Amino acid sequence: MSSMNHDQGSAGDKYWRSLDHLADTPEFQAIVQREFPEHASEMTHPITRRNFLSLMGASLAFAGLAGCRRPVEKIIPYVVKPEEIVPGVAQRFATAMPFGTTAYGLVVTTHEGRPTKVDGHPGHPGSLGAAHAFMQASILDLYDPDRSKTVLKEGKESSWPDFVSAWRDLYAAYIKDQGAGLAVLSGSFVSPTLARLKAEFLKAFPRARWATYEPVSDENIYEGLRLATGATLQPVYRYDRANVILSLESDFLYTGTDSISAARGFSDGRRIKTEQDSMNRLYVAESTFTVTGSAADHRLRLPGSHVAALALAVARALTAEGAVVEGMSGVDVPSGIALEHEWIQAVARDLVRARGAGIIVAGYQQPPEVHALVYAMNRALQNEGSTIIYREIKDAALPNRSDLAALVNDMNSANVTSLVILGGNPAYDAPADLNFEAALSNVRTAIHFSTHADETSRLCLWHVPQSHFLESWGDVRAADGTLSVVQPMVDPLFGAHSSIELLSLLTTGTEVSGYESVRATWSLYLKAANFEHDWRRVLHDGLLADSALPAVSPKVNGAAIAGALKALMAAVSLPGLDNMEIVFRPSASTFDGRYANNGWLQELPDPITKVAWDNVALISATTAKELKLSQGLRDGQNHQPMLRLQYQGREIDMPIWIQPGQADYTVTVALGYGRRAAGRIGDGVGVNTYALRTSTAPYFDGGLRVARLDRTYPIASVQDHGGLETETLASNEIARRAPTVLREASLEQYRKNPDFASNDVVLPGFKGLKDKDGKPVSIYDAHAYDKGYQWGMSIDLNACIGCNACTVACQSENNIPVVGKEQVLMGREMHWIRLDRYYKGSVDEPDVAFQPVACQHCENAPCEQVCPVAATVHDKEGLNVMVYNRCVGTRYCANNCPYKVRRFNFLEFNPGTSGFMQEDSPEILKLVRNPDVTVRMRGVMEKCTYCVQRISSARIAAKKEGREIRDGEVVTACQQTCPTQAIVFGNLNDPESRVARIKQANRDYELLAELNVRPRTSYLARLRNPNPDLEQPVAG
Amino acid sequence: MAQIFPKWSNRVPPLVAAGVLLLGAALTGFFWYYGSPMFTDVGYRPKQPVPYSHKLHAGDLGIDCRYCHVGAEVSPVAMVPPTATCMNCHNLILTQSEKLLPVRESWATGQPIPWVRVHKTPDYAYFNHSIHLNAGVGCESCHGNIAEMEEVQQMQPLSMGWCLDCHRNPDHHLRPASEITKMNWQPPKEQLAFAARIKEERRIAPSEDCTACHR
Repeated sequence: MSSMNHDQGSAGDKYWRSLDHLADTPEFQAIVQREFPEHASEMTHPITRRNFLSLMGASLAFAGLAGCRRPVEKIIPYVVKPEEIVPGVAQRFATAMPFGTTAYGLVVTTHEGRPTKVDGHPGHPGSLGAAHAFMQASILDLYDPDRSKTVLKEGKESSWPDFVSAWRDLYAAYIKDQGAGLAVLSGSFVSPTLARLKAEFLKAFPRARWATYEPVSDENIYEGLRLATGATLQPVYRYDRANVILSLESDFLYTGTDSISAARGFSDGRRIKTEQDSMNRLYVAESTFTVTGSAADHRLRLPGSHVAALALAVARALTAEGAVVEGMSGVDVPSGIALEHEWIQAVARDLVRARGAGIIVAGYQQPPEVHALVYAMNRALQNEGSTIIYREIKDAALPNRSDLAALVNDMNSANVTSLVILGGNPAYDAPADLNFEAALSNVRTAIHFSTHADETSRLCLWHVPQSHFLESWGDVRAADGTLSVVQPMVDPLFGAHSSIELLSLLTTGTEVSGYESVRATWSLYLKAANFEHDWRRVLHDGLLADSALPAVSPKVNGAAIAGALKALMAAVSLPGLDNMEIVFRPSASTFDGRYANNGWLQELPDPITKVAWDNVALISATTAKELKLSQGLRDGQNHQPMLRLQYQGREIDMPIWIQPGQADYTVTVALGYGRRAAGRIGDGVGVNTYALRTSTAPYFDGGLRVARLDRTYPIASVQDHGGLETETLASNEIARRAPTVLREASLEQYRKNPDFASNDVVLPGFKGLKDKDGKPVSIYDAHAYDKGYQWGMSIDLNACIGCNACTVACQSENNIPVVGKEQVLMGREMHWIRLDRYYKGSVDEPDVAFQPVACQHCENAPCEQVCPVAATVHDKEGLNVMVYNRCVGTRYCANNCPYKVRRFNFLEFNPGTSGFMQEDSPEILKLVRNPDVTVRMRGVMEKCTYCVQRISSARIAAKKEGREIRDGEVVTACQQTCPTQAIVFGNLNDPESRVARIKQANRDYELLAELNVRPRTSYLARLRNPNPDLEQPVAG
Repeated sequence: MAQIFPKWSNRVPPLVAAGVLLLGAALTGFFWYYGSPMFTDVGYRPKQPVPYSHKLHAGDLGIDCRYCHVGAEVSPVAMVPPTATCMNCHNLILTQSEKLLPVRESWATGQPIPWVRVHKTPDYAYFNHSIHLNAGVGCESCHGNIAEMEEVQQMQPLSMGWCLDCHRNPDHHLRPASEITKMNWQPPKEQLAFAARIKEERRIAPSEDCTACHR
């Protein structure tokens, strides 16, 4: 293991992919010089050689017997074909995905009634046609083989009728004494039908208790707005109208509520065509590097507990600049905290200049007082009503931690005889100090309603399976209040019931179908005379037009804000080695733990750390140095030192991860790992950090102590896998060439030198000879590629925020397998599109930039020149084609690929595709596959195809109608899902196509253009917009 | 010293060489023919769960292919008809026939009839019926004269080389839209002129790229 290089002077402005890269350790050199990491080529399957030979022998013998006869294959037709289904033709339906206190509209693709792909609904305000990783991956949850399949009583198989009759007995008893002793613990929701049923439930059982709990939620935001205005409000942001944005630890582009519309609006404000245009400016203050932090023009790192003081300082500066902020009278910025006054002044001046066109947004982690102050600041800046509107909240059950605490109190004092847990997994994710497990043992009849028989189910008398949102009726409101009906795509696969159906049963004692309940509610919104027609219209459209809720103008209560702030400021402390700050945040893969059994998400690398299949304790380089901790590659893998985290008498052991840009003396841990009863994917992955989390400090707190442990733990990080070819060069060559890989400039530099992106490319060529097109000559005959469609792609690095949605969309569209942590450790991950993450600058204050890299479809493709069996060739439309049935698996192509985008099936990652080495894989997982894409077997190479199946179907549709393919008709999966519309695909041969016009921009450049491989994918250089007032801009 | 080998042994090496060559050629020829879909697949005629006669229905009664195979013009798959299609007629005709027992059982129980697939392309080859029909390729070109088959059998090898033969030169397989489902169709004398015209009109330019079928 090598120690880190802390010499920041030598880092300078160079780009680096990881700490090992920065230090340029021999281990790093070793890993980048290999095509695949060290163990990737070895046969490490648990099947021994002897077993393997006997299996081979057996299968060969059978092959000999069966080889002459082709296997008999059955065709199973319908008995009665549904009128609207034509076998072989996909259908698309609109629905919506409920998520916390918002919803995302979806368009779901189904094949013969089998949903296979989820995409954003173009007309829905929450998704705008895009889908983030959780939306994309929700389709895999539907087919999770570990979903619970039957009602359980005391852990033993029971049935729904048994449960219904048991509830009827309880119902009769509780209805008599008005529900005394009855309690419901639900997750939060925004659903007219659920809200109606909740009201009816509380009417039927007036003495019953209802608590709503979410481990990660916007509770603090609602609390803060209530503190400031006295009303319960939902903020709706219009980032597209903002010129200056200040984020106080808000990851609004990624983990925040309504992140898609935020990302779209934000990137629209930066989408500039020429150097004449202007773009917005983003300031971020945060403890942990987030996706939003990486998009910042100026990022300030500080402990989460100091954000309040920073907010107050900004408010004071705003007041000094003439925007008088209410709610600060008598509150002083605590002394002893080092705040960057220059930064604060510059931000305040910028915000005041952009009065009415700015946004200050605080993260849900921040306490309510900060949100109250932020409200007052936005009001003082006249942003309210222009870039931010507030609307009343309707039909919602908002999360409330104190309600949960009160419920647990009641349970402990045996005042709760029956508890219905409506979704959620409190035995796993409730605050540790409440000791929910112990409290649950005091409840006589506990009923747990959930998709999996999980940690909580095991402690309850009854477990009732919950259906997936793609198989049940429901309704939701989006962030702006727009109503949608959630319609099922398929009958419940395991006969489960929806929460609407369960709540109906609880309330009335009789079974009512979800469909009837939802329609009953919607008689409120649709006129009775025209109900059927309007209902069908809502189902078809996926939303009720014009149902967004109007903005309200709240009153501000300055005194209340000031009072609360004063108390908060008194509690601010200074972190140090013996008083570190622990920061909890939701995982990018499992969120709060609910997606723990989703293989696509577990294998999806964290956007910043690029760690998959684990959670790590993030610490800064300085903190690591003081703790004498170091990390580094060994045998091509990350072996991370372990740290014991001690907080309020509880402790957990976790591997560390030195995170550039992390605030000193803070330790950030992701929630949602260490599940014990998630299923075959999620069990035992990572460390359960809920064990440290308390109800009083759910997101960050001081008082953490750490101790070094004497062991290490292997972490699967993909950041050094697939390093571009420049990195096999000496360190100084990397420094020279890296800026040509990821090109960026400040807006000012761009204006001075509009051609900066193409300026510094040194094209090779034999004595500078050019061919007839003015391109450097190649030793291979160039094809003209001037007829028909010539496909190409443009990726705008100025829009890309690194959110990983494209990776999951591609996985879903192209049947890409999940390989597991052991395989990722060996560099065998299969993602066709990866997001390279580059740091720039110092270890403590780096910039981060992302670059999505998939097959570039080079016209002079180096892979094609080395394939001995012509398994990878070009087609006439310029696609670099991978022919699976020809591939013999030499991997020469991957070796010769300068972009490192080819993926090899080392093992049978798709069980059942080759005759032998079958693994125990559930059949149901086959249902998620896209029938239009070949499922690859062991031993073949694969890579991005530009979604050739979509090109084919567009071509066939166009030919049938006797026309050309229209521009925009072929949309690749990554392009479709991109929240910021960074990816554009189309026909380069049509000068009017969008992609051809975009490629004319002066920011357009090709990756590794000096190799003269003529890639069809090109990039638009990234821009930053630093404030000239700040002497040492973070970017530049 | 006497000769160890008699004089005729001089002819052994060329004979062995010739033998090896012949054997090699024979082996190659053997596998070329017996290993090809031309031998292994053409003529495949599995027994179906219902002794359905295409000769009777499509030939003698003259029912159009698309009465049952409704997907042919609009979908990648032509579609094997649902039981309901059989019952359209057979709830009135031959209601007691023993041969139709599996159909009536399927209708009564809701369990589909497990037909045996005759024409199969590999999983990695994506054949699309609709685009071929829209281009004017008749059913018969690939499936043979179905109207004369009691039990359907495979008539063409459906191998990649066979597909490419037509993709390279489709002229003899293009028909007017009205003749698509016609069996035993004889191309008119001016077929080549017709093919040239229809190729121009409908922009028929069959792809020879891998991506035409492989995804």
